[in-house]
Amino acid sequence: MKTLLSIALGVVTAIGGFLDAGTVATAGEAGAKFGLGLVWAILLSTVAIVLLVEMTGRFAAVSKKTYASAIRENFGIKFYLLPLASEVIAESILLTAEIGGMAIAISLITGISWHVLFPVAVLLVFASAWRAPFSWIENGPALLGLVTLSFIAGIVALGGPQRDLLPTLWQPPIQQGGMADYLYLIAATLGATISPYMLYFYSSGAREEGWSTRSLLLNRVTAIVGMGFGCIGSLAIVLLSAMVLRPLNMTANTLGEIGLAMAKAFGPVGAMLFAIALFATCFGAALEVVLAVSYNIAQGFGWEWSEDKKPVEAARFNLVIILFLLVAVLISLLGIDPLQLALFASTVIALFLPISLFPFLVLMNDRQYLGDKINGRLINIAMLCILFIAFVVAIVSLPLEIVSGGG
Amino acid sequence: MPRERDDVFSIRDILDSQLETSDQRKIGRVADIEAEWRGENLYLTSLLVGPQALAKRINGPLHALLRALFRDRFDSAIPMRDVKEFGPTLQLRRKASEYPIGRSDRWIADHLLRWIPGSGHR
Repeated sequence: MKTLLSIALGVVTAIGGFLDAGTVATAGEAGAKFGLGLVWAILLSTVAIVLLVEMTGRFAAVSKKTYASAIRENFGIKFYLLPLASEVIAESILLTAEIGGMAIAISLITGISWHVLFPVAVLLVFASAWRAPFSWIENGPALLGLVTLSFIAGIVALGGPQRDLLPTLWQPPIQQGGMADYLYLIAATLGATISPYMLYFYSSGAREEGWSTRSLLLNRVTAIVGMGFGCIGSLAIVLLSAMVLRPLNMTANTLGEIGLAMAKAFGPVGAMLFAIALFATCFGAALEVVLAVSYNIAQGFGWEWSEDKKPVEAARFNLVIILFLLVAVLISLLGIDPLQLALFASTVIALFLPISLFPFLVLMNDRQYLGDKINGRLINIAMLCILFIAFVVAIVSLPLEIVSGGG
Repeated sequence: MPRERDDVFSIRDILDSQLETSDQRKIGRVADIEAEWRGENLYLTSLLVGPQALAKRINGPLHALLRALFRDRFDSAIPMRDVKEFGPTLQLRRKASEYPIGRSDRWIADHLLRWIPGSGHR
C-alpha cells in the first residue's frame, strides 16, 4: 500500500514537473500556428525526458550522489563552470517567465495588471522556498496541477478536433517566410520539455528522500507514467489551440490568449480552470527552477544544502535562493511578456543542452558510479541523437528569430 | 597498470572532494593542495580552500584579479593531519566553527539571514 501511494505521489510530481510556462507557451503557440505540426517534437522530447528522469533517479539512487557533486568531483572545477554558467543564464530567464506566468494567472482571476502582481508572485515563491519542507514543494503545486486534466474535458466539450486538422500532423501548414518560426518553435518545444533543471532538482530530491537501489522500480514507473501524463496535458493544449485559436487566425501571443480555448469550452469556469492550471504549473516550476540552481551551486561548491533544514543551517544555499530571485526581478524590469520570455528561455536551453547533458551521459556510463546499472547502448545513442537535433535546430533558429524581432 | 590499492591515492581522490567536519557540516570542497619536499619524499602538507586557490586552477588573470581583490582574506589551509578519513568525502577531525571556511555559513546567518522572518536564527 505504501509503495502504491508513493508511486501515485511520484506520478503526480512528475506531471507537475513536465508542465510549466515553457510547455504551455510552446504547446499553445504550436497549436495556434501550425495545427498538429509540432506534435512529433512533443513526442520526441517526451521520450528524451522519460529517459533522462529515469537516468537521474537511477544515478542518485545507486551512486548516492547528486548530479552537480558528481560533475565537480569527476571533471574538476574548470569544467564544472561550463554547465554551471549555461544553467544560471538559461534558468534565470526561465525563472522570470515562470513567475510572470504565475502573475498572469492571478491577473486572469483578479483583473489586476500582471506587472503589479509580479512582486507578489516572487514573494510567494520565496516564502515557499524559504520555509516549506521538501515534500510540500514536491507535491503541493503538483496536486493543484491536476486541474490540467480539465483540458481534456475541454476538447471533448468542444466536440473533438475537426477532421481537417489531421493532415497537419504530417504536413505542417508553414506559410511563406514561416520556416524560421517553425524551427524556433521546434527548438523551444525540445528545450521546454527536456529541461536540465529537472536533473538537478530530481537528483537532489532523490537524495533528500534517501533513495536506494530499492527505489529503482518506483523510479522507472514514475518516469514513464508521470512524464506520459505530462505529455498528454501538453498535447491537450496543442489540440485546444489548434481547434479554437487557429480558425480565428490568433497566434497565441500571450499566455492569456491560450486560455481563450478553455473559455470557449466552459465559459467563465473554463477561464478559471485555465488560470488555476497555469498558476499551479508555473508555481511548481518556479520553485523547482530556483531550487535546482541553488542545489547545483551549493553541491558544486560543497556547501550545506537541504530544503528540510532551517535557513540558517544551510546559509549559503539559502542566500543563493534569495540572490537568484533578485536576478529574476531585475530581468522582469525589462518588461518582456512572459510567453515570449518562456519561448526564448526554452530555445536557449535547447542550445545549451549538449553542455548540460553530455557530462551526464558520460557519468551514466561510468561503472565507478553505477556498477552494473550503467546505461545501455541504445539509450546512449537515442540521447545523443536527440541532443544533436535540439542543438542544431536551436543554433539555426535563434539568430533568425532575433533578427526577425521575435514572436 | 599497477594493481589498485586502498592506501594509494591519486590526486583526483583529493582535489574537489567534499569536506565534512566532525559535527557533520559540509563546509566546502578541496580547491587545491600544498606539498613540500622533505629529503627525498614529497609530503602532502595541507588542503587549500577559498576563492583564490580555486581561481588559480581556472585561469591566471582571474587568480591575479582575485588576489588583488581579496588579499588572502577568504582563503585558508587545512593541515593534512586534520583529515580523519579519506573516502567519497574527506572527514575532518574538528568542528565547523574551528575552520575559517566553516564559519562562513555562520557569518551569513548572523549578518544577513537573521533579519528575514522564519530564518530559524537564535
